[in-house]
Amino acid sequence: MPARFAELLTDEQVVRVHEASLEILENVGMLVRNEEARARFAKHGCLVDTQTQIVKFPRAIVEHFRQAIPPTFTFHGRDPQYDRTIPGDGPLTTTSSSAPDVLDPQTGNVRRARSDDIARIAYLVNELPGYDLFSISVTADDAPPGQYSLSRFYPALKHCLKPVRGSAPDMDEVDNILKLGALIAGSEAAFWERPFITFQYCALISPLTMDVESTEKLMRLTERGIPSYGVVAPNAGVSAPFTLTGTLALANAEFLAQAALEQMVRAGKPIIYEPLPTVADMRTGAYAPGAIETGIILMGCAQMARFYNVPSGGFSGLSNAKTNDAQSGFETGMSTAVTVLAGADLLNMGGLLDALMVFDFAKAVIDNEIALMLKQTGRGLQFSEENLALDVIAETGPGGMFLDKLHTIQRMRATALLPEIADRAPRNQWEAEGMPDSQTQAMRRVREILTRDNPAVFSPDVDARIRAEFEDLVAGDAVALDITTD
Amino acid sequence: MNKEQILENLATAIVDGDDDMALESARAALDAQLDPLDAVDQGLSKGMDIIGEQFQSGEVFLPELLMAASAFKAAMEILKPEIELQKKEIAKQGTVLIGTVKGDLHSIGKNIVGTVLETKGFDVVDIGIDNGALDIIQEAKKVQADVIALSCLMTTTMPAQKEVIETLEEMNLRDKYFVIVGGGPVTPEWANEIGADGYGESAIQAAELVKELMDNK
Repeated sequence: MPARFAELLTDEQVVRVHEASLEILENVGMLVRNEEARARFAKHGCLVDTQTQIVKFPRAIVEHFRQAIPPTFTFHGRDPQYDRTIPGDGPLTTTSSSAPDVLDPQTGNVRRARSDDIARIAYLVNELPGYDLFSISVTADDAPPGQYSLSRFYPALKHCLKPVRGSAPDMDEVDNILKLGALIAGSEAAFWERPFITFQYCALISPLTMDVESTEKLMRLTERGIPSYGVVAPNAGVSAPFTLTGTLALANAEFLAQAALEQMVRAGKPIIYEPLPTVADMRTGAYAPGAIETGIILMGCAQMARFYNVPSGGFSGLSNAKTNDAQSGFETGMSTAVTVLAGADLLNMGGLLDALMVFDFAKAVIDNEIALMLKQTGRGLQFSEENLALDVIAETGPGGMFLDKLHTIQRMRATALLPEIADRAPRNQWEAEGMPDSQTQAMRRVREILTRDNPAVFSPDVDARIRAEFEDLVAGDAVALDITTD
Repeated sequence: MNKEQILENLATAIVDGDDDMALESARAALDAQLDPLDAVDQGLSKGMDIIGEQFQSGEVFLPELLMAASAFKAAMEILKPEIELQKKEIAKQGTVLIGTVKGDLHSIGKNIVGTVLETKGFDVVDIGIDNGALDIIQEAKKVQADVIALSCLMTTTMPAQKEVIETLEEMNLRDKYFVIVGGGPVTPEWANEIGADGYGESAIQAAELVKELMDNK
């Protein structure tokens, strides 16, 4: 772990951003469209204008409730070996969420994503060591009515032992997904002992607005103690001021308002400070999550989260690239690198192209490698007296060689990351292999995984119980790729 | 100031996005007894065409386009009452009902499209955010819309666009309106798949699309 995280703000500036956020909440306030939420705010001393639906927050109230946020957040997996708690186990990396389209792994064409894609992606994430959790990457176009989210969670949980995170449009769907969880765990009690499903919601619409239905979900999920947290996503220049500092102050205010409501409903609810701050490309207004400014603002967010002693994360490493080219690599690589150096505990980074529109299997494999590089970065130099290696330096001496030392042999598989996608072969060998680029290498890995059977799939008994419970449920199978296609 | 000079100033006020100059020039046009319709066609609209082209070519940025639209609206506040007083009519381009679909509260993109459509001479009826299919259709009937423009920002609310079209079909009203869709996650393929009449990537393209649909009506 780094001795000091990269910090763009001085301690005084952090306090000033915090103060500025309090000023925003106290003087400008939030438009709260959900009546029950307004009532809760009023009950705890906020000033509510019933005409305009504007809620203003006296600073003492914000200060009081933000101190109730716990310092850690735990994700559970179907298999406990994948349980992760941040900050301790961080930096964690996950796929990014809810793209409507997928690049078909056989044809290479963009099409609507389906539940069988989710099954394949879940299997891929299960096998790729860079991912700590699976945030359900795409929507399911084949979902039967009333099973919009069940059609996503079922294939995801069926094929992945790691923690699964996703969203649901309403509480009926949440209840179905929890029922699914209990069927998988064996009983409700067993599920609640280690709830391996986490929900995410977007109750906040920048600037400074809380909507009706998502806020409803926030309150219902929170009061029932269902693992869940919200994301704020200001877009600088459009839904936030066009300064990075101003966007940070606004995002921070929105986070604090959301956290206040969560803690009012259930004091001590664990959450993650996990925004998706972006800039607009002012030439056209285009949404630019791939911009480096996303990473820069997230560095500020990580610092604010540390000030509040709350686990931090963010949607870092998104890309506007349409295909797996240099742009997709440098956008994902640069933003995540700065975010991880700033001490963010969770990076939502993998698998998506075209500004969260398209999931690409090859991109997910490449991002797995970037994730492993980030984890390596998070470990840092691993300073210790032993790692100064003074004995072996003395033993080898001037002009000697370290290659054949026992010291080296003991560490040769662990010290440096051994990449699968980055090519380090000599040119002639690379040419002999058909000059594969990283896209080709990544697709090889995709095929290698997705043509095998997945041992993580639940037993036929469990599956039969689930299918008996939910009529018309999607098959949720990770249909094996046709290996003859290239 | 002669007529040409005033028209020139109206166009310049739009290109510069200068509300004050737009107001002043509109008043000057009326003082000089210019036909208010000429002031719109040969002054304001000319300015919008220029800035529209500059936006398309990347010369000006989106905020500048919005400033131009704001100046256009400012000048229209002066000119419109006079046009009505003279019992003249701005050539009717058509009525566009625009709104964000059920479950979606994101309004900024929709507002931009509405504003640009207004500057192109369309009557725009903005029904705001979070509109159910039936409400949208009822409003479209009420205002005798030619075009229904549906916006959404979230992938999770995209199906609500489809629902509006399906409901129109069920009510045998589909051929009464052009339905166009837009918003962050919307693509031409999606528009096609749900049977919409079109999709615009930007506000300018949306305005061009509406014009094209109305021209071929």
